[in-house]
Amino acid sequence: MVVSFKRLACATALAGLAMTAVAAAADIKIGIVAPMTGQLASEGQDMENAVKMAIDAANAKGGVNGDKITTTTADDACDPQQAVTAGSKLISEGVTAIVGGYCSGAVLPTLKIYGDAGVPFVIIGANSTKLVAANQGNAFLANSTGDMQATTAVELFKKNGYKKIAVIDEGDAYSSDLAKLTAEAFKNAGGEIAAKETTTAGEQDYSAVVTKVKSSGADAVFWTAYHAGGALLTKQLRQAGFQGGIVLGDGNNSPEYLEIAGSAGEGVFLLSPPTVDLLSGAADFKAKYKDAYGRDAGAYAALSHDVGDLIVDAIARAKSADQKAIIEALKASDFKGLAGEIKFTDKNTLQTSNFRPVVAKGGKWVATE
Amino acid sequence: MTLDLVIQQLVNGLIVGSFYALIALGYSMVFGVIKLLNFAHGDIYMSGAFVGLIAFSFVGVWVGNGWAGVVCALLVSMLAVGLLGVVIERFAYRPMRNAPRLSILITALGASMVLNGTALALTGGRHFAFNTDLGFAGLDVSAVHITYTQIVLVAASILLMAGMQAFVSRTMYGKAMRAVSIDMGASRLMGIDVDRVIALTFFMGSALAAGGGVMAGAYYGSVHFFMGFIMGLKAFTAAVIGGIGSVPGAMLGGLLLGLLEAYGSSLPFVGSEWRDVFVFGALILFLVFKPTGLLGRSVVERV
Repeated sequence: MVVSFKRLACATALAGLAMTAVAAAADIKIGIVAPMTGQLASEGQDMENAVKMAIDAANAKGGVNGDKITTTTADDACDPQQAVTAGSKLISEGVTAIVGGYCSGAVLPTLKIYGDAGVPFVIIGANSTKLVAANQGNAFLANSTGDMQATTAVELFKKNGYKKIAVIDEGDAYSSDLAKLTAEAFKNAGGEIAAKETTTAGEQDYSAVVTKVKSSGADAVFWTAYHAGGALLTKQLRQAGFQGGIVLGDGNNSPEYLEIAGSAGEGVFLLSPPTVDLLSGAADFKAKYKDAYGRDAGAYAALSHDVGDLIVDAIARAKSADQKAIIEALKASDFKGLAGEIKFTDKNTLQTSNFRPVVAKGGKWVATE
Repeated sequence: MTLDLVIQQLVNGLIVGSFYALIALGYSMVFGVIKLLNFAHGDIYMSGAFVGLIAFSFVGVWVGNGWAGVVCALLVSMLAVGLLGVVIERFAYRPMRNAPRLSILITALGASMVLNGTALALTGGRHFAFNTDLGFAGLDVSAVHITYTQIVLVAASILLMAGMQAFVSRTMYGKAMRAVSIDMGASRLMGIDVDRVIALTFFMGSALAAGGGVMAGAYYGSVHFFMGFIMGLKAFTAAVIGGIGSVPGAMLGGLLLGLLEAYGSSLPFVGSEWRDVFVFGALILFLVFKPTGLLGRSVVERV
């Protein structure tokens, strides 16, 4: 990080010396908003690093539309109040576009600020469906919203030849929504829902549910809630001799799941967001990242890098730094990055889900293909 | 319901029911002796599971992660958490013994929160894996797979409860316990050391809950700070169904409650989300129509 900072500083200083005010005015400034302090500071650091890596690469190729790109980072600390301050700071600095946002709660109140200012904003991590409703048309969600997981789940069921699925949730808003959406999507795709069950959070005994699943003749179980219950359910399903497939929602993406489920977890599928360790084409990126910043690329680094590339691509296609033109260019994006395809719907959400199935092998999650 | 389903739910009900019964026993004994609903009892169960896990990870190095390890952890935890129960009684309940009933009930809630909060602070809310080598081997009864672990578990809890019943009904200390539960003042006049008997009651009740905690931890493979909450509520329900204050009643109530859960949630048109409705519905019905529970007639005579 130190290296890149120096290089960036050098480049800006040289440009400033050589071309004085003209170059500075023409520079394109990208704002990065991420949690740089607090519990999620590590994720924020990854987002900043990965976006800068993409921007540096673009500058090395001569910038965009002949202009150099600079960045400025604002810390939202994953806190709604601090996010509003950070957003106002970026606007007052006159940024061309903004990328970032990890926590949906912190992103939500800033959508109005960016919307009123008409600044293009590409959201990297945050993926609550509430963001879709609050969007004024200038914001784009580069991560799949939670409900798109249902699509990925149904694709996985079909690929594995599951015909009868038992869907189990924990009764909270998140897991029961996902269960409902998946059940509907699977029925529409010609599948059968053999059982739809709900467990009590904090409960340890799932035998009643396990028995129902077994007697329902389901080929596979889809668990939409969280890792603690997921691990217990997996164990008890296998203990009762259930031979079918087990698929877990993204709330189970935790090392604790693998620890508790132990050998019963082998071969279980997990629907994962595009974290860098599970992307087949990201090995080169990981090595470069480690080289540049002296640390391992975190979960959202690949997607952050894609968004950095995407914004450069959009500015190039807009052929100017005009914010309205950039928003139009983003709407027309057809971009293929490390974490998958980025094409937006008319609501500025991803057209195709970027959740991907991974499988537990030898006590680790590994990519399926 | 097919025959397989009936057998499977019988197994399920017996297992979860024996956990309920073990915890309900402690509730019932304490209530019998000092008329206190010890709301910290579910947290005692949770503490037992954690102490057992710690003991297991130490002794596992020498005796392995199989049965020997689990039994060692069980004994260590029962002893340590039994003493914890005595300490709680000494400092939280004994000073309140002559206070109004409501005060001591609130103290019990406080004790519960202290235990729960301490566990949360120490563990950070994490779920810990309790990984044993017990495995899933077992018998197949038509399409129902019953693991040896399940069989041993039910047998062990029945053994513990039978031991408790024998202690209460056959020994001198048991006789003292029954005497104190009938009339504390008269017992003291007869030369019974009431404080010691109450401490012993807490020790035994807490040790049983700890035993349940270790067995549940090892059986389900996971331990966390909140595990005692629902268990405490259900064990309380079991104690009420069986007749609070009665030792055989707690066992019967626990097993019946387990079976009610298992069969209730496999009724047609009823999903597993209705399970707790059956449990707490039964609690309300019993409290309204038969507050003394199934075997609680002695309570009536006493009052």
